[in-house]
Amino acid sequence: MKRAILLVILAIVLVLGFYAYREYYRKNINLAQVAPEVTITAPELIKAFEADSAGANKQYGGKIVAVQGTVKSVEQEPNAATIILGESGTMSSVRCSMDTANVAKAATVKEGQALTIKGSLSGFNQDELLGSDVILNRCVIATN
Amino acid sequence: MIRKLGLIAASVVLMNISAVAQDKFFTKSGRIEFFSSAPMEDIEATNRTATAVLDTKTGAVQFSVLMRGFEFQKALMQEHFNENYVESHKYPKGEFKGTIVNNSDIKYDTPGTYPATVKGKLTIHGVTRDVVATGTVKVDGDKLLANSVFNIKLSDYNIKIPSVVKNKLSNNIKITVATNMEPLKG
Repeated sequence: MKRAILLVILAIVLVLGFYAYREYYRKNINLAQVAPEVTITAPELIKAFEADSAGANKQYGGKIVAVQGTVKSVEQEPNAATIILGESGTMSSVRCSMDTANVAKAATVKEGQALTIKGSLSGFNQDELLGSDVILNRCVIATN
Repeated sequence: MIRKLGLIAASVVLMNISAVAQDKFFTKSGRIEFFSSAPMEDIEATNRTATAVLDTKTGAVQFSVLMRGFEFQKALMQEHFNENYVESHKYPKGEFKGTIVNNSDIKYDTPGTYPATVKGKLTIHGVTRDVVATGTVKVDGDKLLANSVFNIKLSDYNIKIPSVVKNKLSNNIKITVATNMEPLKG
């Protein structure tokens, strides 16, 4: 009887230990496999932050957002890429920093292209000099 | 005749000066890393979406970084960083406003790497502190590469380390800044 109880306790400890280990080493999941919590167009998202940045931060901050917009430009670096969505001629944009696994895909994106990008919303950089931007991280191109 | 030629020559020279001497440089993809080394663990995170502006005339420099933009290898660490340590829902941004104290030593129109010392105010977690950092400014064609490494203490910014993780997170954090800035037109 005692042995059986000990074995059960051991089994529970092992299972808990396994889950703790998995949770500790859990990597940020590739957003291609995650459904967005919010879907919105780039102009609407920018407007929300320009009207009330604190409120928009509470509403969208940290959430997985799918942004539909037109590509203003693409910035490429050796190991990083940023796709910028927005209406040409405006100072404000949505800047999507691509997930390291998706950097190569950004090279195929053209200016003026209509695109939906999924990312984790980091916040809003309000800047009169440089133009205000909504920033998304870990971005993936959502296949339309 | 000579006066006319003189005026033309002067305006040509002036136009060239204004074309070469760009006053302000900026980036929206500056890289900021922080590194903590503790007995049981090393932790590092990178933010690739920092905004920076440098005024070459005055040496004024400004950085702005969204705390949620720091990316960690372990998702749990990133969540703890945001929810418990920097409380990014309350304090979404880290900011630095300062000046390059030896700005007059930097020859912005001559390619080369120049040492720079920056003094200013760093705001993290709602707390502002004076910071002095050393680094380099590299003039490379029409780009400016500004780099710096400096240390901060988490306790200076009201960021508390629970005793449970004392051996996993150091109070002393190394911050590395790397920016590739282009001229701000207009």
